[in-house]
Amino acid sequence: MSGHGGPKKTIATRAIQAASLLVTFGVLYGVTRVAPELETHLGTVAAVGFLLLAGTLMSELLETIGLPHLSGYLLAGIIGGPHILHLVDHHTVEELSPVNTLALSLIALAGGAELRIDTLRSVARGLAWATLIQSTFVLVCVAGVFLAIAGYVPFTQGMSIKALLGVSLLWGVLAVSRSPSACMGILSQTRAKGPVATFSLAFIMLSDVVVVILLATMLMLARPLITSSGSISIEDFTVLGHEILSSVAVGVTLGLGLAVYLRLVGRQLLLVLLAIGFGLSDTFTYIHVDSLLAFLAAGFVVTNLSDQGPKLLHSIEQTGSVVFVVFFATAGAHLDIPLLRKLWPVAVALCASRALFTVVAGRISGRLAEDPAILKRWGWSSLVSQAGLALGLSVVIAKAFPSFGDGFRSLSIAAVAINEMIGPILFKFALDRAGETDRHEPEVRPSLTDLPPAH
Amino acid sequence: MNAIAFLLGLLVLAYLGSILVGGRAIRGFGLASGAEYLVLGFVLGPQVLSVVGRSLVETFQPVVLVGVSWLGLVLGVSYLRVGQRRVPVPHILLGIAMSVSVCACVSATVFFGASYFSPLPRIEVIAFAATAGSVCSETTRHSVRWVVERYGAKGPLADLAADTARASALFAALSLAVVNAWLPGAALPAFSVLGRVLVSLGLGVVLGFTAALLLGREFRRDESWGILLGTSLLGTGAAARLNLSPLSATFAMGLTLAIVSRHRVDIKAMVTPTEKPVLLPVVLLAGAYVNVKLPMPLLVLVATALIAKILARISCGSLLSLTSKPVSGVGLEFGGSMLSSGALGLAVALAFAVRHPGVVADTVLLLAAVSVLLGEWLGPAALRRALIRAGEIKPEGPPGEAQPTLPSQA
Repeated sequence: MSGHGGPKKTIATRAIQAASLLVTFGVLYGVTRVAPELETHLGTVAAVGFLLLAGTLMSELLETIGLPHLSGYLLAGIIGGPHILHLVDHHTVEELSPVNTLALSLIALAGGAELRIDTLRSVARGLAWATLIQSTFVLVCVAGVFLAIAGYVPFTQGMSIKALLGVSLLWGVLAVSRSPSACMGILSQTRAKGPVATFSLAFIMLSDVVVVILLATMLMLARPLITSSGSISIEDFTVLGHEILSSVAVGVTLGLGLAVYLRLVGRQLLLVLLAIGFGLSDTFTYIHVDSLLAFLAAGFVVTNLSDQGPKLLHSIEQTGSVVFVVFFATAGAHLDIPLLRKLWPVAVALCASRALFTVVAGRISGRLAEDPAILKRWGWSSLVSQAGLALGLSVVIAKAFPSFGDGFRSLSIAAVAINEMIGPILFKFALDRAGETDRHEPEVRPSLTDLPPAH
Repeated sequence: MNAIAFLLGLLVLAYLGSILVGGRAIRGFGLASGAEYLVLGFVLGPQVLSVVGRSLVETFQPVVLVGVSWLGLVLGVSYLRVGQRRVPVPHILLGIAMSVSVCACVSATVFFGASYFSPLPRIEVIAFAATAGSVCSETTRHSVRWVVERYGAKGPLADLAADTARASALFAALSLAVVNAWLPGAALPAFSVLGRVLVSLGLGVVLGFTAALLLGREFRRDESWGILLGTSLLGTGAAARLNLSPLSATFAMGLTLAIVSRHRVDIKAMVTPTEKPVLLPVVLLAGAYVNVKLPMPLLVLVATALIAKILARISCGSLLSLTSKPVSGVGLEFGGSMLSSGALGLAVALAFAVRHPGVVADTVLLLAAVSVLLGEWLGPAALRRALIRAGEIKPEGPPGEAQPTLPSQA
């Protein structure tokens, strides 16, 4: 993702970008209309190019009205995706899952590398209160709202009150999941520095671990409520504990290895990151290690146990400038617009209540932790976004309860779609208002034409 | 071997390639054309050890397609310059003329040979002849660079060799566009072959202009990567989807950038170092694709095509020695030096194999692979001899005592 600011772009530049965007859409529109039947790898290549180019250009154009780049990437994906122009079909969106794997690993690695122990110490009190309040208050309140409007939710018709309570608790867990990718995306674009940025990053990365534990707990509690045969088992916690410990252990080892590599070799980091992102993510899944947590720990180790953090972050930023655009544009293409059209009243009610309780919880935790005023005011702003993690949780829940899993997942997709579109805008708005976004002009690379011949 | 392990293997190879590009100390290490990776791919592939099975090789078809197209872009971007020097137009024309001559000789030989001695249908014979000619028409500029840098050569003959090798890429890229447009199965049935060729190249030109405009004002590397990758992937995918030639489209895009972009030197400096990291995995995959279990008439035709190529190159060199001052007296050696074949020949064969899989594609790929090996054996030695005779390198200088390297020929 390109940096925020830069030299003021002229109307001519914007016109060129708009014309180029039209060319990009036009080329793929023409091609898909001439050769519409193709569902092979070849379509994927064109789709990646389209999403990258259209996402970049759309983000540049939306920048003029103050929207974050991430919204531009999403919008490019939505317009070009299977539900509007059908330039990128469902098959292609599925084919792009390796890009998501790579992007998530880079996001986690960068997230960990951004977390410095001294910074964490400075926000520890606020972090602890926020984690407690956001995880309990929001969970309970959103579960309550779900219970209250259950009569309008298609898949809960005919359920007993006990079962409804169980489903509501599961929805509550979904409500407290956040989006590390959206947070990192906005921070990477705006290069924001300040209490809101630091708190948001630390909270969201930590909440990833908390949500995993909460999900296991709620699955355990909800099972006997939803199914008559279910019982509470402590076994789930043992497995979870092992997974968390092993993830941290593997992450620390990876981090130490990376730090040594960065120090002793320090070259070709693009290829190293690609190898880590593609190769290790799959290996981690195979050995039941949570890859997000492992990469987070690895980044954390590199930053805090060596002086190689800035180098790692710089490389991730360079690689991410391409990968993140495709990742978010693919997420946009993945949005199920017809489903959203069908479920929007319920989804909007749930999203609005979630946002409201998140703000209230932010105010309460800010007061209890005696946070600075700026944090009390805007600390909640990054917590509205939801993306891949929430969808992942919904898949786990759908698998655990097949009787209503599909409906639950559909509603989750609709709700995540709304939060995914609104959340980043809110976060960027808050960072701008808090005065934390970087407005310095990024360095423009000098032209090589002025340099002497290379030897 | 599973796909992830193979992908990691390719990344390791790309890593090795990037070290070969970046490390001054080991520049000139390995063979000029990268033929060792071709052999490695063949040995690991389905024909010998089967470490990389056929289905896995086919899974990586998009990687091949993207790699081949990226090489097309790099060749296009760097077409008009050798280092900081512009390639003179007469040298470009000479390189193209030599490519056309060699292509004509090889195509004619293959056409008549295949018509009389193989059971192939007419359409396959024409496709075979055209693509064989296209594959043989290229001279790898890496071979020239390798000799020039290794022996510290400097002079008009070294420049001419570098320029004509570079210029040969245009004809190969264009002829592939014609073959792909002519083959059955291309989209746009209402268009003539010429129309489809123009669509392939036009796609590249339009995307090249778009990229040039977007990179027009300030040049920021991070944003530039997104634009270059986006436009090239869009061009590759769009051309492939229309069953046209992605390599030709990206070559046209690169050439357009080289002509119209004010940041052409920056763009060249950006993309050139990526060539080797992309090239080695592509060459390895090409090796894995090679199939030697072909009917005897086709194997004989491969040998015949190679003989035709050698004769055509030597004839071109001899004719050139009569008209060109730098080549005077070293025509035979100069012609031999132009036998070096490499990435582009393999890329053309691979692109053809993706577009039109079958026995003809296998034969063309085998021809490209053997051509690389033969060129590796004959080309650099012939060029060295020509340069020694022309007085552009010292005859007694062993490789270890090479002169300081010249400005990069990349």
